[in-house]
Amino acid sequence: MADFVYLFWNQKEDAQRMAKATPEDRQKITGRWMAWLEELKKKGHVKDFGAPLEFTGKMLQGAQKRVTDGPYPEIKDVIGGFSLITAKNLDEAAELAKGCPILDMGGQVEIRPIRPM
Amino acid sequence: MSKFLYLFWNKPSNWNAQSPEEMERRMKKWMGWMDSLKDAGHFKGAGERLEDTGSLVRGKAKSVTDGPYAEAKDTIGGYIVVEAKDLKEAVELSKGCPVLEGDGLVEVRPIASM
Repeated sequence: MADFVYLFWNQKEDAQRMAKATPEDRQKITGRWMAWLEELKKKGHVKDFGAPLEFTGKMLQGAQKRVTDGPYPEIKDVIGGFSLITAKNLDEAAELAKGCPILDMGGQVEIRPIRPM
Repeated sequence: MSKFLYLFWNKPSNWNAQSPEEMERRMKKWMGWMDSLKDAGHFKGAGERLEDTGSLVRGKAKSVTDGPYAEAKDTIGGYIVVEAKDLKEAVELSKGCPVLEGDGLVEVRPIASM
């Protein structure tokens, strides 16, 4: 078994829409995420649920440590959260990601192997 | 205290192109910086370094292509979770990150409460 991180990419415009969602809608979305992650956990694939992120933040760059508004600019997507997953290999990790609710909302899951220390 | 995620962005080739001595020197800098965050109670050990490879699953068709995410000029090479008073302090603490000595970036993001 190996460890992978799932990075959940939203489209920035979807993220802005979600920030304005009603509490009922938000609860519905959270429910779908928890159902998917609980299912993975039951099968022993969740190492850490990770966390959802606010769609705000800052960027730091260079030796001058210049601070600008985040998230990462000039791309149409934004990372909305992450989870830590255990799977046989990258193929299985990708297969398990197919149940992620973000895919129905035009989002993407980036799957990255953890580099051992 | 609130929780923040630091995402470390870099050119993927930068790390692998180093000599072993350079890699060791940079590794020590990273460890030194993270130890100082740990000693001050801002870092509890949650974080990972990532390989330059990966997959991307996309859309309702659930198409799988090679990763990492390629729209940005940089890729994420790792992340850690830190605790700070507020965004301002989280930004201040990130200024010691060795990725800033090269052409990397730190993205500081508040973690949403569940």
